[in-house]
Amino acid sequence: MRFFLKTIFDYGAVVFAFGFIAPLTMQIITRAGIDLPFGLTPLMAGLILATVWGGIAQYRGRWI
Amino acid sequence: MTDTLQDSSEPDLMRREREIARRHIGKFPWLSVTWAFVNLAVWLSLWPLVLTSTLSVWIAFPIATLNVMLCYLPSHEAQHDIIARPGDKLRWLNELVGHVSTIPLVLPYRVARLTHLEHHKHTNDPDLDPDYGTHASGPVAAIWNSFQKRQPGSEGGPNAYAAALQRIGREDVMLEAVLSTLVFYVILFVLAWSGFAIEAALLWWLPRHIGQTYIVYYLSWAPHHPANETGRYRNTRGFRAAFGNIASMGMQYHIVHHLHPRIPLIRTPRAFHEMRDVLEARDCRLDGI
Repeated sequence: MRFFLKTIFDYGAVVFAFGFIAPLTMQIITRAGIDLPFGLTPLMAGLILATVWGGIAQYRGRWI
Repeated sequence: MTDTLQDSSEPDLMRREREIARRHIGKFPWLSVTWAFVNLAVWLSLWPLVLTSTLSVWIAFPIATLNVMLCYLPSHEAQHDIIARPGDKLRWLNELVGHVSTIPLVLPYRVARLTHLEHHKHTNDPDLDPDYGTHASGPVAAIWNSFQKRQPGSEGGPNAYAAALQRIGREDVMLEAVLSTLVFYVILFVLAWSGFAIEAALLWWLPRHIGQTYIVYYLSWAPHHPANETGRYRNTRGFRAAFGNIASMGMQYHIVHHLHPRIPLIRTPRAFHEMRDVLEARDCRLDGI
């Protein structure tokens, strides 16, 4: 249990990025009716942002 | 009166201060108790209203933000046993208010209580005050600092509370903080992947960040600024808030709370004015108030 919780919190930035930022980005793009380049879907854009921003936040220890 | 008190002895000043405090302690804080339940009920009711499209999320967002900003103080009254002391008939109500009012803030009652009492014991001590990390050079720095302390790698904020709980041997309570945070994120993630990410963001995630910033600013930074003294009469100050006493959640008179924590929030302005000559004689910092 302790190991499980520690692992989740140790990788909190990445978990948050894929758990929240990805779907949030997807839904913002969809509701705003934004056309994405290169045939990207809103889900793909959300996952790309989550990967990049979450990865940077995980590495640097800060979102901003 | 001030001239008289300036020459008063230490026992005389203390006697007068305690007489005033005694007049305000023990009064049932109806406002705080009502506030706790109404505030929570409003915030909870926003969820079905928004998720069923009965209410626009853009109308609900500022209401939710206000709810989070307002949710801490009733718990604060409970933390100091102001609603009812241990053994009193209404003790259950004190504990209920403490537990439920901070749900929007995702701050478990026992975590809030234990760390807050440590703050009172060690106000402005860089090593022992769990809230010391909120000190900053000015208002803008205080707001920026509040965001920085919530970054994943920060040693302040939640991590300072964990350190305080560890220091006082209450690691058991840390588990409550961890589990409540976990539940909060699981709810956010489930809502987000169910198609309600914007609603979750505007009813809880963003209001919680704004609320935390507001609470840290007015309840921690402003009343202790510049937070460089530790004496009973110098570790907290009176101050004139830009938007008044209500908008600062009564914190203009926070010095009275630190001197006598069992005076209900609603009575601190009156207690302050009655106690003012004592505070001046004690060389307290009453910045512009």
